[in-house]
Amino acid sequence: MKDKQHLLQFNQKIQLTIVSFDGIIKETDNKLFDWKTGSSIYDTHPFFYIIESLTNDSSTKEFSFPCIHFKNNTSEKLCDVSIKIKHSEIAIIFYDYTEKYKELNQIAQQRNESFLKSKALALKNKYLLEKEEFKNSFIANINHEIRTPLTSIIGFVEVLEKTKLSFEQEELTRIIKRDSQHLHTLVDDMIDISKIESGQLKIVEERFVFSDLIAGLNESYSRLADEKNLQFETYIDSNIQEYLIGDRMRIYQILNNLLNNAFKFTEEGKISLSVTKNYQRTNKLSINFKIEDTGIGILEEHQPHVFDRFTRFNEEKQISGTGLGLAIVKNLIDTLNGEIKMTSQPEKGTIFNIKLPLKFEITKSAPERKKKKYTLPENKKKFRILLVEDEETTQYLVMKTLITHGSFYVDVAIHGEEAIHYIERRNYDLILMDLKMTKVDGYQATHMIRNNYGDKVISEVPIVGFTANTNATERDKCLKSGMDDFINKPFKREDLIYIITKQIAKKAAD
Amino acid sequence: MKLSKKVVLLGHFGVGKTSLFKRFIDNEFSEEYKVTLGVQIKKKVIQLPDGRELSMIIWDTEGHSKSVEDTRKSYLLGSHAFIYVFDVTREDTYKHMDKDLEYLKNTYTNVTTKVIGNKLDLVSEKIIIKELKEHNTPFDCLTSAKTNKNVQKFFLELAEEITK
Repeated sequence: MKDKQHLLQFNQKIQLTIVSFDGIIKETDNKLFDWKTGSSIYDTHPFFYIIESLTNDSSTKEFSFPCIHFKNNTSEKLCDVSIKIKHSEIAIIFYDYTEKYKELNQIAQQRNESFLKSKALALKNKYLLEKEEFKNSFIANINHEIRTPLTSIIGFVEVLEKTKLSFEQEELTRIIKRDSQHLHTLVDDMIDISKIESGQLKIVEERFVFSDLIAGLNESYSRLADEKNLQFETYIDSNIQEYLIGDRMRIYQILNNLLNNAFKFTEEGKISLSVTKNYQRTNKLSINFKIEDTGIGILEEHQPHVFDRFTRFNEEKQISGTGLGLAIVKNLIDTLNGEIKMTSQPEKGTIFNIKLPLKFEITKSAPERKKKKYTLPENKKKFRILLVEDEETTQYLVMKTLITHGSFYVDVAIHGEEAIHYIERRNYDLILMDLKMTKVDGYQATHMIRNNYGDKVISEVPIVGFTANTNATERDKCLKSGMDDFINKPFKREDLIYIITKQIAKKAAD
Repeated sequence: MKLSKKVVLLGHFGVGKTSLFKRFIDNEFSEEYKVTLGVQIKKKVIQLPDGRELSMIIWDTEGHSKSVEDTRKSYLLGSHAFIYVFDVTREDTYKHMDKDLEYLKNTYTNVTTKVIGNKLDLVSEKIIIKELKEHNTPFDCLTSAKTNKNVQKFFLELAEEITK
């Protein structure tokens, strides 16, 4: 009984239609579609245009077309269609499998959707990566473009400071200097964050005098504490080795950033930096840095976001900054495999605790201190410098800085080719070599000087690379190309004089 | 009986065959992806430049996942043109296209085959043209069913070509 019912039901889902070769419906049982005999099958659905290509002869043939969509205004049927051609008649049998196909459709939909979603995600990811790459290269380029005029501003302000100024001019100069140094910090922050994000931040391990690093901070911030009428204290655990191995510059940057913040947000009371040893194993040690202030503190709801980028909680207080400082600190500490914790109470103050792993080695000789004192040799009254630089303002600034110092003559070449022309005609005590120049660039010119001349006065002249590009790769490239040293733009007057003096003194000692 | 030509849309699933089909025939577009099972067929009457009327019978087939050979043979019977569609954002939809085109060319010798790169709205036209040329990927037209870019133009030019 059940089987018979099933058969009857199934029968309701099959339609037989007989059509002539010219497409006229001769017979139809209309179980699925309501078509009139005598009408053209071509008018019922475009599928039937297929008949034209199947009836080029009257031989017996059979074709099967699975899953054809027959849609009218109210419903859609998904049918398998069998077309049998015999003599001059065409028998079309429709099998309605709508339910079965709709079930299959759901499965296919899920399978394809999940595949396409993963592809769309991969595409989005690719797009974001490309955007990120573009952003990083844009920042790197803009860095170069900003640093060059900034070199001029900072340099000329330093030159200007040393001239006779009225009280008002002195004040204005002080403001220009403060703001241009602030701009310099902002550019550095941008570069750092883009390096961190693109994974280009390289950790440089070097041996250094740890107490000198803290002493440097102590010196700078004691002055600021005096200006702001604040107390400032530093403490170093005497158990910490004198010489440590780690990224001195990045540790300085972390502490400098946190102290800078502490001073920004503290109007009265005390700021302290204390450094203690956590533990020591073989040649490794962990150091704790604690920076504590009695400043305005951070509201509890703001505390989880303190290390987020572009976070500033005190807009109304008009304190300058990019909101990148603490994000950089956190990223640098992560890169150095350290950790940072913060506790803060509004109106009472903030404490940052940092743990950093460092190394040490027991050595008899002390590492070279960063700022060893050098003096110019006494065999000459004045030293001749060749400045190879295409930027007019930088040329003027360097000339002004060196000539004002009183110990130097300066010649200027605008590119490497002209520099070669000069050194073949005159002896120089040092060459300041820009890197990016038209015609012959700084690396090519250095290579030519080092390799093309038998005269040692030419081939062994000290060369100092001079560029706005600050990355470590550039520095390595300079040294590998045969340069003796490297100075960044913007430079400080004393740094430029120091490097020139150092290289001339070293050459004289050879 | 009027002039009629059968055109079949082929290609991987999710490349936008149905979107092109709906855009050309009904001038509709939906962001929602709906899988096509089997084949849906519609007719569009086109006025040819010489005044004739063409009934273009377009078969929008279920997309394949590996090769065009997976498409049911009966769907391709009596075709006048194949439009092989790929997705310009998915390399897997055009990476092995040469094998598919070779198969169509060898099996259906008299059928015109055209290649369309769809979803042009998602990429830069200049960049994708450069990439496709670098990979020696043949294509006749780049389209966007979403923005209707080049869709009508492509079908009308195809209509002319297959009725010459």
